Amino acid sequence: MPDITITIGGEAGQGVQTIGEVLSRILIRNGFYVFSIQDYHSRIRGGHNSVQVRFSDQPIQAIGTDTDLLVCLNHETQEIHQTALKKDGIMIGTISSPPSPSLPSSMVSIHFNEMAKELGNRIFANIIAVGALIEILGIDEKIAELYLEEIFQKKGKDIIRLNKEALALGQKEIRKHQISRKFLDKRNGSQNHGKLFIVGGNEALGLGAILAGCTFYSAYPMTPSTGVMNFISSRSKKYGIIVEQAEDEIAAINMAIGASYTGAKAMTATSGGGFCLMVEGLGLAAMTETPIVILDGMRPGPSTGLPTRTSQGDLEFVLSASHDEFPRFVFAPRDPQDAIDTMIRAFNLSDHFQVPVIILSDQYLADSNWTFSQIKVNEKPQNTQTVIGDQNYQRYVLAESGISPRALPGMSEALVVADSDEHDEIGHLTEDLELRVQMHQKRMKKIEKMREKTRPPVYKAGKTATIVGWGSTYGVLYEAREKLVNLGVDVGLLHFNDIYPLSKDILTFIKSVPQPVVIEGNYQGQLARLLERETKIPFSLRINRYDGRPFFVNELMNQIQEVLS
Amino acid sequence: MSSFRNQLEIAWCPGCGNFNLLTALSEALVELGLKPSQVVLVSGIGQAAKAPHYIQANVFNGLHGRSIPVAFGIQSVNPELTVIAESGDGCMYGEGGNHLIHAIRRNPNITVIVHDNQVYGLTKGQASPTSEAGFVSKTQPLGTVSESFHPLALAVSQNASFVARGFAGDKEELKSIFKQAIQWKGFSLVDVLQPCVTFNRINTFGWYKSRVYSLPEDYDPEDQVGAFKISLEWGDKIPTGIIYRHTKPIFSDLVFEKLGRKEFLNPTRNYQSIFEDEKHGFE
Repeated sequence: MPDITITIGGEAGQGVQTIGEVLSRILIRNGFYVFSIQDYHSRIRGGHNSVQVRFSDQPIQAIGTDTDLLVCLNHETQEIHQTALKKDGIMIGTISSPPSPSLPSSMVSIHFNEMAKELGNRIFANIIAVGALIEILGIDEKIAELYLEEIFQKKGKDIIRLNKEALALGQKEIRKHQISRKFLDKRNGSQNHGKLFIVGGNEALGLGAILAGCTFYSAYPMTPSTGVMNFISSRSKKYGIIVEQAEDEIAAINMAIGASYTGAKAMTATSGGGFCLMVEGLGLAAMTETPIVILDGMRPGPSTGLPTRTSQGDLEFVLSASHDEFPRFVFAPRDPQDAIDTMIRAFNLSDHFQVPVIILSDQYLADSNWTFSQIKVNEKPQNTQTVIGDQNYQRYVLAESGISPRALPGMSEALVVADSDEHDEIGHLTEDLELRVQMHQKRMKKIEKMREKTRPPVYKAGKTATIVGWGSTYGVLYEAREKLVNLGVDVGLLHFNDIYPLSKDILTFIKSVPQPVVIEGNYQGQLARLLERETKIPFSLRINRYDGRPFFVNELMNQIQEVLS
Repeated sequence: MSSFRNQLEIAWCPGCGNFNLLTALSEALVELGLKPSQVVLVSGIGQAAKAPHYIQANVFNGLHGRSIPVAFGIQSVNPELTVIAESGDGCMYGEGGNHLIHAIRRNPNITVIVHDNQVYGLTKGQASPTSEAGFVSKTQPLGTVSESFHPLALAVSQNASFVARGFAGDKEELKSIFKQAIQWKGFSLVDVLQPCVTFNRINTFGWYKSRVYSLPEDYDPEDQVGAFKISLEWGDKIPTGIIYRHTKPIFSDLVFEKLGRKEFLNPTRNYQSIFEDEKHGFE
């Protein structure tokens, strides 16, 4: 089947997210792969709430471009979204203006709220809308009913009955109309698999931190990272995690550093603007060699920028943030499965090397849901690597590996002295410049061992060219490449999740890929510039987007072909 | 009895008020029967922030203004530790003022000691948040315009758990205040009048000596309104001693109450079973 894209739009509080969520769950239970995202459309204008649900019987991992089915919960939705409706698309809900010749023939005016009142409460409007949608799509209502029973189980039989009635009411309403297009040939996606799992980026990042053993999370709320905090908070009692909302991002990172110095696995999360405030703390973690995991959910800037949009504009910033030099890891997960594994690796590596690890997420990853036929934990969380010291313990002993054994305060006779000043082996501040050189070398030389831990990029060979990307664009690039190959354009794919430091093997390998086209959500081509610096060869073919939207498969395919022509 | 002083060379000016403060604190730690490994001293930046280096204990000498959040993080994950944040007026009231306010709200079991000399020492003599209006320095040659900050009035008004003022010229009283503050379960603020012999020619030892007086025995430190009045007293007469104290639940006890556990250092989590459990939520 071709994939189908549904857009639901309305005012905040009208249940846009709920309809998207319920529909997605019903679809995966019918065996369809779903990709959903909040608040985006390729042609959206202005402030408005919407959810896009794209589904197929084949795995998909990207946002759709044009809409097959538009659900309008208010008048504004029609105005904003109708231009993105396909020629044979269908629009339902609050429709005010008459169809123009260029608009779809199928328009069904339904007043969900009015219908909900018949059931005694406006709250049923969302399920009525879901009923209408499954009827149009041709989805099995039995599975929808089972799902409603499951989610309203705790609310009692009456609530379940009323919701089932709401579902049937939505279906019945659609049956009164002639629908011009048949969507599904068969009601179920694929019969050959077991359960499907739908996972959001922020949930996966939060789950990864929990699995990694995080017990201290301090942060100041900032879109799009707040979802991670909410996920972890909701499980703080279950797993024993201190979650503290700090007075600002400066406090957030310093609290986490204090907790980590004491032996807890600690993290903080923010967006680029909050990371600006954290930078001094990043240097503190580096100088005191205190492990810390910092999540930056990117959004367009500078300054407040576009708070609810997406970006890949912080790469160069996090690579060089803070004054002077120190080793750090920079990882950018490609999807929720990778986010789970990346968080565990981040905690393990931060602890092992006693360095900061920065995770680059973005609004697109944070607020999107991916469907998987299988989700796994591919990494093993490690215990904190510490030693029991004695009275002669020295925190910053000049170890050959650069990694000085870490004792924890209060756990033995050892005194743990940490200093943001340059320090001696005990940890006391020093002005001895020869010692400074030794200490700086001790810290810096970790980077060579860190390179060995970097995972290679995902690579799929192509003869004519190679599209190159990083982080959350993986799904879009993957799909664009598949489609181009099917059209006879033999392009390869090179996609980075571990961005820094890159191993020598990887850097040598990159030099051999045919005609790289670097695709990034920023103006300057920040990965391209990093690769140029590290490989000494030019990466001049680039596609950049910085309008706050994610990449879309169809648009990107055209851009790639333009760049290559 | 273990000593809390080490052999490190001290980088303060001769006659500095910090010396008495250092001695009072190390003696207080000894007299409280604490072991160096149980104590963590956290500091920021400035002359006062060097103090932890001269004490035999665990030390985290962090960033300017940021000792309180670090101390909070330490105490949260290991409530067994005695955690003291120690820094100057510029660090605690200027750069880190916001953290002070919110630490009062959180009420972690930490002691905050402020070496308040009403001037910046490390950067050579600029006005600090507690300098009197009109204070003249190389950087403020026309005199400061801003009024001075009243840390104790702030702390009392916000119902801080323990608020005190000491004077570096009265080591015995200072030691007694430190002991009470460290033993106090909750957030304790001790502002210590500590003359800077190099850069503050106004608030000298003599200036303070003629003004400070110990709060009388019949003073009631549990009366917030009375304490607020006393906290505003400044000028010809400056009170020292325990200005306000008020018992309330501490952060780590509230965490224990809410989360049902105190152990945050080596959690026993079976990640595979957690994952299998959480996986159902994604179906």
